[in-house]
Amino acid sequence: MFSFVSRFSLTKIAGAVIFCAVASIAAVDAEMEGMEVDQRDDGTFLVGSPTFYFDRALGGGGLHSESELWSPSKIRQRLLFNRMSVLPSWDVLPPSVWIKTGNELGDLIYQDFITTEDRPKNRTPILEGGFRSPSFKGFWVTARGFQDDHFSTRTFAYRKKLVDSEFALFGENYPMFSSVYAGAGYTGSQLNVSALAGEEYLWLFYESSRWIPVHYKPRVETRLDYGKLAATVVYEDAEYQNKKKKETGSRKEWNGSLRYGCGDACRKGFLHLSAGVAFRAVDDEGTVYSSLEDDRVLLPFMEMQFRVRNRFAARASFAVNDRDWLVQDSIEFRPAVPAKSGITVGVKNISGTRLNPMADTREFFDGDTISLTADGRMDLVQGYATFTDTVGNLEMGGRGSFWAEYGAETFDVEKYVVDDIMVYRHGDVDRIDDWIKGVTGELWMSIWYKEMFAFKALGGFERIDGEEKRFEVTPAEYFASFSADWLLRKSFRISHSLRYRSDAQWNLRSPDPMVIKGDWYWDATFEQQFPKQGLYLTGTLLHVIGDEVVETPNGAENRLRFVCTVKKTF
Amino acid sequence: MFVWTKTIALVLAVAGFALAQSLPDSTKVQEVAFSNLYVSIEGGEKYPFGDLVDAVDNAFYAGLGVRYTYWEDFDGIILFQYAYFEPHGKAPRINGVHEASGKLGLDYRWHLISPIAFGAGFLCNWTRADYEGDKEDFDYNHDPGATLTDNETEFGWFARLNLPIITLNNYRAGLNVLWEQLWTLPERSNMLSVGLYVERRIW
Repeated sequence: MFSFVSRFSLTKIAGAVIFCAVASIAAVDAEMEGMEVDQRDDGTFLVGSPTFYFDRALGGGGLHSESELWSPSKIRQRLLFNRMSVLPSWDVLPPSVWIKTGNELGDLIYQDFITTEDRPKNRTPILEGGFRSPSFKGFWVTARGFQDDHFSTRTFAYRKKLVDSEFALFGENYPMFSSVYAGAGYTGSQLNVSALAGEEYLWLFYESSRWIPVHYKPRVETRLDYGKLAATVVYEDAEYQNKKKKETGSRKEWNGSLRYGCGDACRKGFLHLSAGVAFRAVDDEGTVYSSLEDDRVLLPFMEMQFRVRNRFAARASFAVNDRDWLVQDSIEFRPAVPAKSGITVGVKNISGTRLNPMADTREFFDGDTISLTADGRMDLVQGYATFTDTVGNLEMGGRGSFWAEYGAETFDVEKYVVDDIMVYRHGDVDRIDDWIKGVTGELWMSIWYKEMFAFKALGGFERIDGEEKRFEVTPAEYFASFSADWLLRKSFRISHSLRYRSDAQWNLRSPDPMVIKGDWYWDATFEQQFPKQGLYLTGTLLHVIGDEVVETPNGAENRLRFVCTVKKTF
Repeated sequence: MFVWTKTIALVLAVAGFALAQSLPDSTKVQEVAFSNLYVSIEGGEKYPFGDLVDAVDNAFYAGLGVRYTYWEDFDGIILFQYAYFEPHGKAPRINGVHEASGKLGLDYRWHLISPIAFGAGFLCNWTRADYEGDKEDFDYNHDPGATLTDNETEFGWFARLNLPIITLNNYRAGLNVLWEQLWTLPERSNMLSVGLYVERRIW
């Protein structure tokens, strides 16, 4: 599976390094909270919908993507079938009022009068508005409506037949998600409590590769942070349907978490401990397209960090219940080196019976039951070394790693089914009972000038040796990225990034592998800032030079788009 | 494609460094934001360019504007304009197209050409056809103007010259010459607009 960088690509990359070093990781704004993966440039990030993407950092090790892996740090993220996701985010934002709109560029408008053949497909918008009031004796109210119609056109006609309404709060584009909530809360020095209620439409991507429409009516989320305690309780009344097959079903679900961490003194000490439990309980009726064993899952977890000065650090998290266990740990050592330099040598390990022990355990597809769990366990071990050196306003760094994984989660395909433009699969989640090995290398260089300018060039490669045909995704072998942030007169921001990713490939979602060709991408944000008034006017161009291709199975084209935001903070 | 991206990046870099050289202390810069604010009314004509000439005819437009101090030598500009375009060729059942345009950008008051200012920014145009009959009667794949029977929105960019003619106390009259490009497909849509404005200083 190894392939070498072509001379042409090397020339392109070298050319880009030179011009960017003259000219320009930028903080290009995401089109919506949780869509930051679309601007990531340090690995393989393939987006087919706001609700489904593959996100794997090149230096991360293993074959899985980040969103497939559960960890205690994600207990307040959303579980979208079997992936953890920030989107649709019900995290309450700081006191402000904001409105956001955007569009996939390329509607006809006046071209409609002179283009009667081979018309481009309709382009779709994005819309968000919300506010959180200033605090009145600690009390505040908030509301937010947001939906992302991008990535919807290609599958629009197919999905439309599955539901009996527009399946959105607004418009007729059948967006992949549409959400609204309102609520109130109290924020004090020790206590932070909130209660939100709303309605939500989601298209979730299942292991069979189907888009499943889910309507939450209502969804209620309460959070409590009191000192060292953090609690979340969510109630979801979800409706399922397939109009084509005249199927309906419902799921009433309670989920949430409780976490107790040690206080400030402990955090500053050499041992940091926290523990908690995550839970889900479901009650299914009618036709629901997946199920959770015993209709419940309870996952106690513990986190531990042991640190000796800044020289040695060991971190570990354990999660275990009657069905699964998952351990993630690392040990890092930083030897004494000259000032403004740094060396880190470390080893990390992930072992467990399942990447996401909180997810459903079975999927039902046309009489077939797809097992979403696999026997046995996976073990990933990665050794790495990082160095940095700073000279004046220039920092250079590098990171190299070697990883090996046994028992990686994969899918054992029994057969594919083609239905119109969609390709589905039957089979079961399985393991690759063999060693997969990878070696990675990354180099970066940063230059900055006061607060006005920061530039970063980053490049990386990875070689993987293993049974490629059984990889869900064969990741990109190399990338290069150049990004810059300008803050002119401390009140006008230009952030942009130019990057290249080599080919990536989906192996198990269609009879022939789906190759996502390597390409260049350019994103840019322009922002007028009025810090004194707390006003921010922002315009962001996304995916400017990349070809508009479908990046995930049964997904939609990742198009050039523009998003603008007006925000006033209180 | 790669070449023009490099060009944009290089222009941004050069412009950034040039600006940085001429910038006053940033703390003062933030003090002047919104120190002056002007509102204006404007009217003129919009001229389609390139292949758009075959799509719609020239049209009159009218609008409102807001200009505010951003930096000592830069103004922020916000424009809201309305125009009604008639199709140039045959477009059965479609009488015209309503266009509402919002523009947000910056004017640079370069001292060498003062009082003329030039500016640029982003724009967002909402359009909807003025049509007769049921929109379900249109064939979206072929009928001219069919997609405009529903709300359509598109973004783009603009560049403009602000040419003041008369300034009296708190009033100013002038000419606004503006080039705009909508990011449409299969081709980008270009228009030039020329209009007269009357502006009043609010503070």
